[in-house]
Amino acid sequence: MNENLFASFITPMILGLPLVTLIVLFPSLLFPTSNRLVNNRFVTLQQWMLQLVSKQMMSIHNPKGQTWTLMLMSLILFIGSTNLLGLLPHSFTPTTQLSMNLGMAIPLWAGAVITGFRNKTKTSLAHFLPQGTPTPLIPMLVIIETISLFIQPMALAVRLTANITAGHLLIHLIGGATLALMSISATTALITFIILILLTILEFAVAMIQAYVFTLLVSLYLHDNT
Amino acid sequence: MPQLDTSTWLTMILSMFLTLFIIFQLKISKHNFYYNPELTSTKMLKQNTPWETKWTKIYLPLSLPL
Repeated sequence: MNENLFASFITPMILGLPLVTLIVLFPSLLFPTSNRLVNNRFVTLQQWMLQLVSKQMMSIHNPKGQTWTLMLMSLILFIGSTNLLGLLPHSFTPTTQLSMNLGMAIPLWAGAVITGFRNKTKTSLAHFLPQGTPTPLIPMLVIIETISLFIQPMALAVRLTANITAGHLLIHLIGGATLALMSISATTALITFIILILLTILEFAVAMIQAYVFTLLVSLYLHDNT
Repeated sequence: MPQLDTSTWLTMILSMFLTLFIIFQLKISKHNFYYNPELTSTKMLKQNTPWETKWTKIYLPLSLPL
């Protein structure tokens, strides 16, 4: 049962060729570029939504922080589209791979922290010691703050992986349970209803991206630039 | 858990780098964010006639000390 359950999370390869690259590239096909002055409805809608999201997210930052807009907007689009596409049956979701999430979290976090260190060294070092701590507690608190700083990228990566993986696993399990219970039709209606609710809640995979980018953005950036 | 099988990690990370950092950013950088159309003032701008840009004494002949 264990093998079967995790089978959908194996990186898809065909005869040793990485099919997974095509799968990762696929969401970019859903965002067509258009150089026209007046685009079609699809492109206009996407550009409008992106503008809305960027205003919402980047308005808190100073101009130096706003140079990260392109990076963060492509991040939220990528994770959002990948998660939503993963809700289709029998699809592979790249964000369930810890490797990919680590590859996203660590460089972005490191970039923010190093920017803070280079441009505002004293301020970023000062974040290790909250104001008004009693003197005997200082060494311990610095250690704790350092640990909490270095855990940030790990937490970002593992949070995304675990949430999406757990959601997919639950859908598999409950769907399988429904199928098995079909012959005993009394409880089928109830279980199918639970699946429906679970899928709806999982649509908040989009909220996950919001959580990802927002957490990344708010905690790291305000921390390092302001 | 198949996610912990490190043999595929390099492929995953590289394909993610390609998509996220290159393709998506190229697509989004092509978005145009237009300004909303604003009313321009209809007041005619006063053009300086050539003899008004440089003042010389001869323009006021009555003030000459003759």
